[in-house]
Amino acid sequence: MSEQFRPYSGIRILDLTHDLGRYATRLFADLGAEVIRIEPPGGLPDRARETDAVPGGAETFAFHNASKQSRVLDLAGNEGRAAFADLAREAQVVVMERGGPLGADDTAWLRGLNPTSVIVHVSPYGLGGPLEGAPASDLTLQAAGGIAWMTGRGEEPPLRLPGGQAAMITSVYTGVATAMCLMDAELRGRGHILDVSAQEAIAHSLQNAIQVWDLERRISHRAGEGTRDASENIYECIDGHVFLASPPTTGVSWKSLLGWMRECGHPSVEAFSAPEWMDRKARSTPAARAAFKPLFEAFTRGFTKDELVENALKRRIVMSQVSKVHEVLGDKQLAYRDYFVTLGEGGPRFPGAPYKMSEPVWRVSPPPALGQHDQRS
Amino acid sequence: MRPDFLNGIRFTDLTWAGAGPFGTKVFSDFGAEVLKIESMSRPDPVRRGGPYKDGIQGTNRSGYFASRNTGKQSIALDLKQPEGLEIALKLIAQSDVVSNNFGPGAMERLGLTYDAVRAVKPDIIYLSMPMYGEDGPLSTLLGVGMTIAAVTGMMWMTGYGNGEKPLGPGTHYPDHAANPYHAAFAVLAALRHRRHTGRGMKIDLSQVESTGNFVGASLYEAAVHDREPEHPGNRSRGDAPHNVFRCAGNDDWCAIAVDGDGEWLALAAAIGRQDLATRPDLRKAAGRLAAMAELEAAVTAWTTQRGAAEAASVLQTAGVPAARVSSARDLVEDDAQLRARDYWQTIDHPEMGPSLFTSPPFRIDGERLELARPPLFGEHTEAVLSGLLGMSHDAIADLAERKILA
Repeated sequence: MSEQFRPYSGIRILDLTHDLGRYATRLFADLGAEVIRIEPPGGLPDRARETDAVPGGAETFAFHNASKQSRVLDLAGNEGRAAFADLAREAQVVVMERGGPLGADDTAWLRGLNPTSVIVHVSPYGLGGPLEGAPASDLTLQAAGGIAWMTGRGEEPPLRLPGGQAAMITSVYTGVATAMCLMDAELRGRGHILDVSAQEAIAHSLQNAIQVWDLERRISHRAGEGTRDASENIYECIDGHVFLASPPTTGVSWKSLLGWMRECGHPSVEAFSAPEWMDRKARSTPAARAAFKPLFEAFTRGFTKDELVENALKRRIVMSQVSKVHEVLGDKQLAYRDYFVTLGEGGPRFPGAPYKMSEPVWRVSPPPALGQHDQRS
Repeated sequence: MRPDFLNGIRFTDLTWAGAGPFGTKVFSDFGAEVLKIESMSRPDPVRRGGPYKDGIQGTNRSGYFASRNTGKQSIALDLKQPEGLEIALKLIAQSDVVSNNFGPGAMERLGLTYDAVRAVKPDIIYLSMPMYGEDGPLSTLLGVGMTIAAVTGMMWMTGYGNGEKPLGPGTHYPDHAANPYHAAFAVLAALRHRRHTGRGMKIDLSQVESTGNFVGASLYEAAVHDREPEHPGNRSRGDAPHNVFRCAGNDDWCAIAVDGDGEWLALAAAIGRQDLATRPDLRKAAGRLAAMAELEAAVTAWTTQRGAAEAASVLQTAGVPAARVSSARDLVEDDAQLRARDYWQTIDHPEMGPSLFTSPPFRIDGERLELARPPLFGEHTEAVLSGLLGMSHDAIADLAERKILA
């Protein structure tokens, strides 16, 4: 039986990413591309950084490099470069990342090897500009891109998002832009050079903060004053927390919530029935937020997460459980949909496809050992 | 450049609010014809959500809407009326992709199931992106972007660390990165698959499953070790000092992230603390983690003497990862890097006037993608109905009169 066609069957990607761009190439690998990590003799930098010795290190490496291959080529030497050139002539895409074995200076060489390939540079600040070479990390990029500013408590420092989000954001933009360029290269024979900036990618994902500044000269702030409804918050319940978002403008959620509290005879419903709780502006002040929390928490503390979510479902209230990470593994909806997979036979659960396609074209395999796919003579 | 990479690809785009339109915008930015179907019988919530030009409300004045819909065409069409649905199906019959981000069952109620759509366009690519998936015990749970953060563990992990209560992201973060771009990637993959096989595809993107991958490494860590991963906030599990530090100005902060012995020595020198640089117990990361409070105090003593931009610049030059924590105003008004790379675009708009837009965050062949302005409500209805469907002026006027094109 011939191999089933998958969306990126026939595409070879030479992958020199080691941090910000790795999830981009994984997206292609899971959909059938031959993604080959080209590693120096000691491995790309992520092999030394993400080991068993670092908490979560090995899992981070596996997540970002699943489904890929690995070949060792010393690009500092002629032999390695010649072998790379042979691969690059047949590769539709080469993805580089700042700090890896190849850089912007190698673009002309790569273009000469394959005039219709897509050559991708991923870097913290993009090519050119005063910060082109500036040192950077997940924390500093979330700061420089504007997203850290928007998270945290008002009087305390701005706060980054967890789990290496600078790399996740950069990678999804890189993946989409690479796919766009690849489509043009395949259909029209035009090669492209793509230069992705992590700072810009983050600044592109700030909800409406740029427009709030441009159009109304207000600065969206982590404390959320003037933007978030008083109800949008996290509340304690018997066995954890729930998240509620219930502005009176959104569907039946607010009315239904008050109805339920009334059914339960909860005293907070009297306070919530005052006219100021129907006023959108009044509800977005810090005072409203401070007043809302104890009133509603007095109600949620009488229930478990499951009871609250069950009522949210039944009564069309925008409220959900706040899951700890290990609780997500037991999420009944994700279980129903068979979300989790394993890397190979058995083994611990691994996040499943970000999208279900109606043909079985997505699959994931374990990350490669260093040089696992070397051609041995 | 105004790229033509996607020329010849047409979307009938039913997405609304944040995540859906952000995902289809990238197609119009690359030259696809994205027909945005909208109706004032149930307006796109972001047309009714601020910010507005000069703070004045109006269907065509929302910056949120503008930023999600560049280069699209707006078709005013009430799908709840049979003739509106009929027109939608005629548009779909000439489209490559039909996209929606409604809750489960909404497309069925409209009469636009995958099967109904395939009947008029057998090789259609059909993108659905409901919050929790199309079926299952929690599929009908209502939610917003923050709900998705809540159920995926992202909200729980977002905090200052030390076992504090969760805070969660300050935005509806999953709407602005994970879900729109996973959706766009899936559609691009399906387009290539169709080119080679002749078959369309249905893409069922559960926004929770998509966002689960954005915390994928943490989920896998929890599964492998059967434990809750630590979430250290701005700090690092591997080295110190690594935090956001107060600077001299009001609400002025600098992120500083030491990772490795070399960066530590560079930092100690830059802040004038040779005494710390020479201390044997601080030579390795483990020692620095043990002395975290002392080192953070030393850094704070230095940062509070200067503005964040200056602090970041000094440290960057010294080879230490550092950056001012930028607000939206800082990015727009005072970021030399973004300015040097021509990140900002100003586009004129008939009702909003010249307005600011972020470029797609990359350059192609050394150039920026030039954005085309977002559409006014119903701006392209007549042109598309006459041009694409060959309807007469009178027929269109009649439908408009009967509020089917509204």
